[in-house]
Amino acid sequence: MKVSYNELQGLSRKAFIGIGFDDGDASDAADMVAWMEAHGLNGLAALGKGLDFLLNEDKSQPPKLIYQDADLCVVDAQNKTILGHASLAIELGYAKCRARGLSVTKIRHCHNRMLIVGYLSRIARRDMSVTAFWRNSHEPLTEILVSFKSGEAEPEICMYGLPSIPDDTEPNNGITLVMVNHVDLLPNLKPEAPANDLILQNRAAMLDWHERSLVDGIEVDTVLWERLKVLATKMLVEASDDSRQGAGAGTTDND
Amino acid sequence: MISATSASAPHDNLRPASEVMKLERLGSMFASRLSFVRSLMRKMIAESWQITNTVFDLDSKGHGLAIYRITTPGNYYECVIFSRDLEPEQRSDRVIAEAWDVTFALVEGEAESSLLEQMAANVPLQEAGRQHPRVLVLSRANRSLRNFSQFLAALSAGKQPDPGWLTAVGYLYRTTAVYGNGKFGIADFARLERNPDFNRPFAAQMLAVYVLRQFSVEQLNHLAKVQSPDRAVPLHPELQRYLGIGNSTGLGMAPFLIDHPQLIQQWVYGRERALAFARAEPANEQTHKALRSLMARALKHLQQTITEDEEQTLRNRETAKSVIEVIEWLDRTPAHQGLYKELISWAGNHCSLEAQELINTMLIELYPELVEPIDDELGCQESMDLKPDMKASKLRDLIHEKFDWALSYREDCPDDNYWFWYRSVEKEEPRLGIRGTESGAEKELALAVGPRISRCLTKLDEFLESNPNAIVVEFLLANPGQKECVRRIQTIGDTPYGEIRANLWHRDMKPMHLLRTKLSFFGASRFDPKSDRWVRITLFQGAPLPCELNDPRLPLHQLDDWGFPLEPGLESIVNDQKTLGGKL
Repeated sequence: MKVSYNELQGLSRKAFIGIGFDDGDASDAADMVAWMEAHGLNGLAALGKGLDFLLNEDKSQPPKLIYQDADLCVVDAQNKTILGHASLAIELGYAKCRARGLSVTKIRHCHNRMLIVGYLSRIARRDMSVTAFWRNSHEPLTEILVSFKSGEAEPEICMYGLPSIPDDTEPNNGITLVMVNHVDLLPNLKPEAPANDLILQNRAAMLDWHERSLVDGIEVDTVLWERLKVLATKMLVEASDDSRQGAGAGTTDND
Repeated sequence: MISATSASAPHDNLRPASEVMKLERLGSMFASRLSFVRSLMRKMIAESWQITNTVFDLDSKGHGLAIYRITTPGNYYECVIFSRDLEPEQRSDRVIAEAWDVTFALVEGEAESSLLEQMAANVPLQEAGRQHPRVLVLSRANRSLRNFSQFLAALSAGKQPDPGWLTAVGYLYRTTAVYGNGKFGIADFARLERNPDFNRPFAAQMLAVYVLRQFSVEQLNHLAKVQSPDRAVPLHPELQRYLGIGNSTGLGMAPFLIDHPQLIQQWVYGRERALAFARAEPANEQTHKALRSLMARALKHLQQTITEDEEQTLRNRETAKSVIEVIEWLDRTPAHQGLYKELISWAGNHCSLEAQELINTMLIELYPELVEPIDDELGCQESMDLKPDMKASKLRDLIHEKFDWALSYREDCPDDNYWFWYRSVEKEEPRLGIRGTESGAEKELALAVGPRISRCLTKLDEFLESNPNAIVVEFLLANPGQKECVRRIQTIGDTPYGEIRANLWHRDMKPMHLLRTKLSFFGASRFDPKSDRWVRITLFQGAPLPCELNDPRLPLHQLDDWGFPLEPGLESIVNDQKTLGGKL
């Protein structure tokens, strides 16, 4: 089934409100999912994968600020999805970078990490270069690097497998963000050889995907779409005779 | 598409937001030269757009398929119209209706057979269908049964219908929703904003409505001919021009106004700049005469506007009374350098809000060359971003400076919290409920910006007590639920006009003002409220016909002068018909 960008964004927003997100988080999360999907980065699949988890998490807990100084902050997302309040951690890094020229933000214990790309596009739009780095802890061990140049709408994304697994016992479900506002970071994302399973998603490919999304619509999984529709209905009020009066119209034409 | 205008934009001579953004004043505005239907018509005339009928496959009841091709300098489009039988019990203005007399869609390029087949299966279903991404606009309309039957009877009998019927109800068809921007699978506005034909707000939607107007004339002529092949006459061009398209609308307009504050402020900023340009001009005898003539036309238009709604009737009467006084004022005040400022100042003390805004509308009308560049500046890129590094104390100052109107909200006052806004499960129709009396308040829409800002300030004051040097993002980490509100304050606080200044929960809030605000920018006339939250209006009444768009004998300034249309005289129409032997 094909849908428009606006439809995807709108339904996602309503679904997130139905799930219990605050208005602002619902808008941001919907933007993130729709932006990812429209750029060929499987935002809906990522949402579908984490939806059950999302339905059961406590939405009221904001991320916990563990440490901050002028250049660095460490935030614990408390095993929540990046779609929720985690955008505030990114905004904290942005604020520090504005003040100092460079900032490092570490977001610990978060899920749906790939979806952060959708929010980082906003940071780039606001004249900031940003690079995100994280590792998937499951095998095969992979590293993901996403880099937006200031002012550009699409990032370069690089994902590669590591040849050997380090002896690391710590769960690895964090993200590190580096922001700078006067220079470009990482002019070439391609890692030095050897690298396995390299996926290099370049800006041109994402731009092309975005154009096609606008012209042809966005293909969505019908089952997930229906699920989002059901979640979105949670914000709708049952109809009654009183409520029909509340729209203010008559029920028949008379001219 | 231009960026949203910031508060640093030049604003010499602009009226203050405290005056302009009051809901009551916004709800007193009239269609103007900058309204979207006027702007679209000017573009079509200036660029010689062609609108031609390519398929007219209607049966003896007027049911079937019609296609119109619209050719612009760089592209072409087709408007595909499906006319079907509608059972009387299915006839309803409500968005929750499921069948209509006609359903139609504007598509990019040609509606080739495969697309046409897909559209035939889905366009008549409207919201229940899945629409093709090449569809730019999706809409539907119902007949005005009274006008349709009266017009048909007259034309079939070889007579022209009484123009007074169009003064009472200015259309044969009335749309009940005109969808754009990605609804039900159609094209996103992001695709249109790069298209010079439709990059102005609602331009594609207005074009689809304009084409329906032409269809309504041709369908009527067709039916008259079917009923009486020998005697029938076609509708006189004067009456075709006086025919508009109706629109029925309700609370659905309100969420748009609140959810697109940057766009609304851009529209208001455009209108206010136009007014500032005009007001600064020195009046001369020619403009003085033109202004008087425009006011006289508006007076007649108002006197010819019929509504069953008592309140609107009183408003119209009061406005007409004020306009008479304005004309008298103009008659005793000769043209001079500061005439307009003097008139506005006098009207502020003597005239109703509607009459004051009517004067402003007419001043804008006088100076097309100053105003028309603004046609292309009424859209904007909408994006609300946080300024996380702003000092929290500065955010508090910003609220006091720019949103003081919101701070009169009282948490414990029943009147301040009377209404709540929500969406019904019935097609997500926006509705109003009484808090504490009707169910659903726990699912209310966050449309009341004033109370939200007031609550945000309470939390901010508390936070600042223990964190006086904090920045905004630190406030939000402690109060994450305030993110949307803070983002909005920071974004809209930085614009010349900002928010509509009203508490949308207040018992005395009039939803009709919200509806009229948006409809005046569309270019609606003949406001005919059917309740305090439901209104019928007319679009394109008086507008040039498709055959006139590229007629070299008709200059742009003449064709563009169609605001506040007046009822054509029956005598001249009858005489024309006699002269031409019924062949018009």
